Amino acid sequence: MSANAKKAAKARAAASVKSFNYSTSPLLAAPTPPWRSKLLVALVGLGFLLLLGRAVYVQIIDAPFFLKQGEIRYGHTIELPASRGRIVDRNGLILAASVPAPSIWAIPKDLDGDARSRARLATLLDMTSAALETRLADNPNFVWLRRQVDEGVAKAVRDLGVKGIHEVREYKRKYPEGEAAAHVVGFTNVEDRGQEGIELAFQKELAGQGGTRRVIKDRLGRVIEDVGDSVAPVEGQDIGLAVDSKVQFFAYQRIRDAVAANKAKAGSVVVLDAQTGEVLALANFPSYSPSDRKNLTGAQLRNRALTDTFEPGSTMKPFVAAWALETGRVTPTTVIQTAPGKMTLTGSTITDSHPHGNLTVTEVIQKSSNVGAVRMAMTFTPREMWELYSSVGFGQKPQLGFPGVVTGRLRPYKTWRPIEQATMSYGYGLSASLFQIAHAYTVFAHDGELIPVTLTRPIGGGAAPLASGIRVLSPKTAATVRGMLHLVTLPGGTAPKAQVLGYSVGGKSGTAYKQEGASYATKKYRAWFVGMAPIQHPRIIVAVMVDEPSAGKYFGGDVAAPVFSEVVQQTLRMMGVQPDLDVKPQIVSREMPAEEESF
Amino acid sequence: MTRLNVLLLLALLASSLYLVRVSYESRRLFAELDKAQNEERALDTDSERLKTELRSQATPLRVERTARERLAMRAATPAVTQYVELPAAAVPASGSGGRP
Repeated sequence: MSANAKKAAKARAAASVKSFNYSTSPLLAAPTPPWRSKLLVALVGLGFLLLLGRAVYVQIIDAPFFLKQGEIRYGHTIELPASRGRIVDRNGLILAASVPAPSIWAIPKDLDGDARSRARLATLLDMTSAALETRLADNPNFVWLRRQVDEGVAKAVRDLGVKGIHEVREYKRKYPEGEAAAHVVGFTNVEDRGQEGIELAFQKELAGQGGTRRVIKDRLGRVIEDVGDSVAPVEGQDIGLAVDSKVQFFAYQRIRDAVAANKAKAGSVVVLDAQTGEVLALANFPSYSPSDRKNLTGAQLRNRALTDTFEPGSTMKPFVAAWALETGRVTPTTVIQTAPGKMTLTGSTITDSHPHGNLTVTEVIQKSSNVGAVRMAMTFTPREMWELYSSVGFGQKPQLGFPGVVTGRLRPYKTWRPIEQATMSYGYGLSASLFQIAHAYTVFAHDGELIPVTLTRPIGGGAAPLASGIRVLSPKTAATVRGMLHLVTLPGGTAPKAQVLGYSVGGKSGTAYKQEGASYATKKYRAWFVGMAPIQHPRIIVAVMVDEPSAGKYFGGDVAAPVFSEVVQQTLRMMGVQPDLDVKPQIVSREMPAEEESF
Repeated sequence: MTRLNVLLLLALLASSLYLVRVSYESRRLFAELDKAQNEERALDTDSERLKTELRSQATPLRVERTARERLAMRAATPAVTQYVELPAAAVPASGSGGRP
């Protein structure tokens, strides 16, 4: 090859390198067919389409589902329990309130801690070490160690720092007044639902309504955002009672002592405000402690003043006398022949336990003559008498809104036989609770009107307004009967032991054989006394009942009247009522010259 | 034009960082608020508990027993009470005088 040719070849080679660009380089020309690259493009495109489709599916078509799933993972629903309302007395003193009482539980398999801290734990939980170990051996995953302990105990357990011990927040009802107010206030069960008394009657108002709250929590469990709607809890309302806890306590204490002193089975006291119709106290013995209800018996649970009915006996006579006066059939001085202390009516004999001769209407009440009452009542038509009795609340359910209130029994007048009308005039053949009798006596205390009674009272409300009720008697008749009731407590009446230092009182005692099955028990009595004070302008009505006094005395005037006297004394003093009787003062205040001050 | 875009980009960055900060802050504050509210509730129940405890230490039963036994007191009777009437006294509670 010549030098020229070599040169030319060299130049050509250089030119050929330069004249091919990358894409058209024959060296790189793919030996593969073109469809492969197209397929690849199509596959990649399809991939993108799939992604897009999935995105559409996630974002648009099934979005709610994914939103929900997401929220489940970061959102939490917090239950907001409503706290149970309090029950307070007329002065705002707490009768029942919820306090935190954590329950301690454990996961035994997680439990660590040496023997010493376990022994300490056992002491704190008020159990022996052995008992604790047995309990822990029950179930490796969950055991209750103790339900509803005091906050202090829970804190001590927390401070012990034993792993595997947990607590749940629970609430427990506290009843500061204990057994004195147990029958009125009632109690709740472990689930915080009312079971008795006001706790049951106002369960709905007291319980409130729990709420919920939807939140987002962060890694550390702190709430960082509210999401969605939260339902605020409706806290339970506080319920105000008309009961005065001091009066209530005192009444309870007195009836308890009286039951013990008379070896009786049970007793009840009802104190009503004669002007407003408020129930100031409602005490029964035997009672129970509402926070410790082990070994409870039905006898302890019964709110006898409201649920036990008995034949009201002599306490009915004033109504008969009042009606006879009201209708002008008699005057207080009309003489009624009761000798020889018995009378016979359609073959049955009605007797007085102490025979008297001629008695005026006033004396019939004062000496509690059955024959006298019957002679007055037999001038009434049955319908008239039935209307009188039902207008003062016999055979009617007291409108108290309290569980277990009984109606008593007053048979329709069409079925009355004459002897029945006669026995009803001195309180046999019909039945009523002590509360009904006390309520009926508002007719005399409230100037002839039967006023509605109430157990509750708006919290923070001022003095309750003077109640007005249904007029049964004229004010004049009511005042006359009050005068007769006053005589009952004076010498010559059946209940001089009802007298109160400084206050004039009036009332009616009652004693009855207890009914057992179809007949009357011979040695079992029930004694009671219903009265009011001060007699001219009554402020309170007090009814006392003692069931089966068996220490020798059994007359209402001997057994129940002293309780009445003490309760009236305390209640009027607490209400700040000025005495209306002269009392020999024991305070001596003399005019004494003051020592001169040196300056 | 380019400079304006750069400026806007910077502004956007700043605003985004601020947003991050603000939302962090708001979460922190919310958590704090929540904590404070929980504490309020806890204190509320605590005060309720203490009130109840106070009340159970001052029941008539306890007061009466302490007064009678430890302080040797007795209940006042009308015989040892001097009743005074305020000049502008409302209707007297009971009828006739009875001033001891």
